[in-house]
Amino acid sequence: MSSAGDRVRIKHAGFEYSGILLESKDDNIFVLKLSNGYNVGIPKGNSKVTVTGNLQVEKLPELKAEKNLKLPNVSLVSTGGTITSRVDYRTGAVHPITKPAELLSQIPELKKIANISVTPAMSKFSEEFSPDDWSKLAGFVGRELNKENVRGVIVTHGTDTLHYTAAALSFALEGLGKPVAIVGGQRSSDRGSFDGAMNLICGTHYANSDIAEVATVLHGTSSDDYCIANPGTKTKKMHTTMRNTFRPINSMPYAKLFKTGKIEKLRGSNLRHAGEVNVQSQFEEKVALIKYHPGLSPKILDFYVKEGYRGVIIEGTGLGHVSANTWLKSITAATKKMFVGMTSQANYGKVDPYVYSTGRDLFNHGVVYLGDMLAETAIVKLSWVLGQEKDKDKVRDLMTTNLRGELSEKSVPNGFLY
Amino acid sequence: MKNLGLKSGIEIHQQLATGKLFSRCQSKLISSNPDFTISRRLRALAGEMGKVDVAAAHAAEKKLTYIYEVHNNNTSLVEMDEEPPEVINQDALDIGLLVCKMLNCRIIPYLQVMRKTVVDGSNTSGFQRTCLVGVDGYIKTSAGKVGIDTVVLEEDSARRTGETKDTVTYRLDRLGIPLLEIATAPDMKTPDQVKEVAQILGTMLRSTGNVMRGIGTIRQDVNISIKGHARVELKGVQDLQQIPKITEIEAKRQKAEIDMKRKTDSHVRNVKEDLTSKFLRPMPGASRMYPETDIPTIKVDMDRVKTMNIPELIPERINRYKKLGLNDELSKRMADSKKNEVFDRAMKKQNLNPTLVATTLLSTEKELKRKLKTELGIFPVEFYSRLFKALDEGRLTNESISKVMERFMKGEDFDKIISEFKPMSDSALLKLIKDNYDENLPQGALIGKIMNKVAGKADGKKVAKLIVEFKK
Repeated sequence: MSSAGDRVRIKHAGFEYSGILLESKDDNIFVLKLSNGYNVGIPKGNSKVTVTGNLQVEKLPELKAEKNLKLPNVSLVSTGGTITSRVDYRTGAVHPITKPAELLSQIPELKKIANISVTPAMSKFSEEFSPDDWSKLAGFVGRELNKENVRGVIVTHGTDTLHYTAAALSFALEGLGKPVAIVGGQRSSDRGSFDGAMNLICGTHYANSDIAEVATVLHGTSSDDYCIANPGTKTKKMHTTMRNTFRPINSMPYAKLFKTGKIEKLRGSNLRHAGEVNVQSQFEEKVALIKYHPGLSPKILDFYVKEGYRGVIIEGTGLGHVSANTWLKSITAATKKMFVGMTSQANYGKVDPYVYSTGRDLFNHGVVYLGDMLAETAIVKLSWVLGQEKDKDKVRDLMTTNLRGELSEKSVPNGFLY
Repeated sequence: MKNLGLKSGIEIHQQLATGKLFSRCQSKLISSNPDFTISRRLRALAGEMGKVDVAAAHAAEKKLTYIYEVHNNNTSLVEMDEEPPEVINQDALDIGLLVCKMLNCRIIPYLQVMRKTVVDGSNTSGFQRTCLVGVDGYIKTSAGKVGIDTVVLEEDSARRTGETKDTVTYRLDRLGIPLLEIATAPDMKTPDQVKEVAQILGTMLRSTGNVMRGIGTIRQDVNISIKGHARVELKGVQDLQQIPKITEIEAKRQKAEIDMKRKTDSHVRNVKEDLTSKFLRPMPGASRMYPETDIPTIKVDMDRVKTMNIPELIPERINRYKKLGLNDELSKRMADSKKNEVFDRAMKKQNLNPTLVATTLLSTEKELKRKLKTELGIFPVEFYSRLFKALDEGRLTNESISKVMERFMKGEDFDKIISEFKPMSDSALLKLIKDNYDENLPQGALIGKIMNKVAGKADGKKVAKLIVEFKK
């Protein structure tokens, strides 16, 4: 029997191919790496395989943990995603790096910026994250932050739900006195154009800065010129594939960060201070986000009530609307049982119940309007608030009070389309 | 040269006349200023086998910033390395498969697009997408069979438009244009044989009718080794005529290296204007290739390949045109023109003069463009088939062809134009001659005067004949 990694000769249709056998995603074909480097596929049917040897894979050199006492100590907590993924030559698929040290060995610049210790918290694609994972991750990050000699923490994360986790950590880390950078990548680490390298370098500079906030740190533009640190509660993935996908929404970034270590501040923030961080990491799972669209049946809301959900966030139209004609009855019933919050699918700007009669109706029937809070941030906050608090009025108070920069006191003119 | 043990092979890179290989942009170079630029850095990373490729490491060491020029109307996020590739361009793949067939290659049953690490900035991603389509073919030459090792379909690199000490600027218009790379076995033992093989391959590619023409659309690399020296690849061979001289210079250089007991490692050199060469980079190894994970394996439809017809080669076509009565010059130009199929279809008609049809196809359009100072409008095949049908059926005279084409180019309706150029009846012509007859004018001037009035609606010979009859 032949297996991946074997040197083989395959006879098929009167021709012979020799090379190294790779794992194939298609059960009906052999994938073979020829000596010229090209991979080819050969049908398994009518093929004869002869094993002639076995491939020895060379190990990547690991980063030597030599501490430089002059450099700050930064902790990196890895969770998976593109930034810590690499091509598995055996399957040809992208897989998470299990030893993040492999990643550091590929970005030697980091060694000159900080002593980085790596804690693998989990290894999953970000779409697989659950509130339970936020909770677990907050625990890891909190432990690192509370080490006296640690200047700041970097979390590596898949970009799909990076902004949800950024919000979750923002709420879970009470009394944060050090920087927490959440870093991702949009290009895989196998290629020369790997964007995560610069993101990690800038993220390390952020972790060593005096900005004591949870921030996403990724490319600011399509160029490799600088990264932007966006407030964890005020950012969103705005493009499926571009490097500069994370934009600040209703805010300026905290800062531009350059590979050289230069930091250009763009708005105010909490500053580094002493004191332990208090990890409040209970998240309620029975919450849901409903995106309203013309014609959407209110039965979806009835369903969540019936299922015993403790709260929903509605991503309404414009200033925060759903059809009053078809939804008011269900809304009235729902708000008696659970928290119903309103955000806008316009992303930018705030919701307002007073401008149109629809908004007034919804508001009067118990819908809570959540200002300029992003829908994604609102669902995370609701999950967190319900994790700490049972009293309905207190939940409502907490949801409408700015805790981590999620609700702007005033709408800044440069917060649109930065 | 022979006693040096010269072994030589060539690699031909030919741009295909289709859209880009993995984006839906057009394959066209743009001369206007870019709409914006982006700047990037590239890193040398370990390949799938855990090795950093020597060539990649060499380029990354230079620590240059790469500036890419973007045109919004013909650049997509794929070229900017901001989006995964689109599916492979089927037209380009078909040309690749056809060429494999012409070169007697064995076609790979399932194709796997690979990423070949390139960190000199000429690819935004840091790799070139490349796909092995055929192997182990051959062509016949005057000195016997020459092996074809590989036929590869790949992306062209970005076009270098400038550089400073710390930066290199590239334009993204060329990035991703399909290239067919044909690599021969090191079967050639004399420089002249190399030249012949290059010519044969070039002719075969042009005979498909689907390759780009003009400067920079075909590039040759020559691989040379003499006994005792590793293979050296010479890039940037502009002209086939230079191959013998370049080969001779390189063979002598290798001989000198051996004599001086220097290292004779495999590497890549760039040919300079004086045909000597300079070191470019170490020879890239197989470790710089790994699968393009964003593109699934492509199953080749072998039944469809079987139905593909091997095109008539241009030299055969030239002979056929000569037999039809075209002169040598027109035969060559017509056979090498993309309009040869239009010509062949027209020749199936009864009453058409081959020379007239060839001249119309090859010259009239160009002359009109020059006259009207326009780059607009190539005439569609449909236009020519209707034009030649009207000529064949006597609904149009030879004299009115260029006037019809001019008005069509300006956007008028074909049927309307044709109706206005309907040939004059004999009686109408005779009446015109009678009304304009001037016995004091010599015959030539008289014909000129009448032809002016006729405005292309009658044949010159016929007018001359009728004037003679009228005089009587």
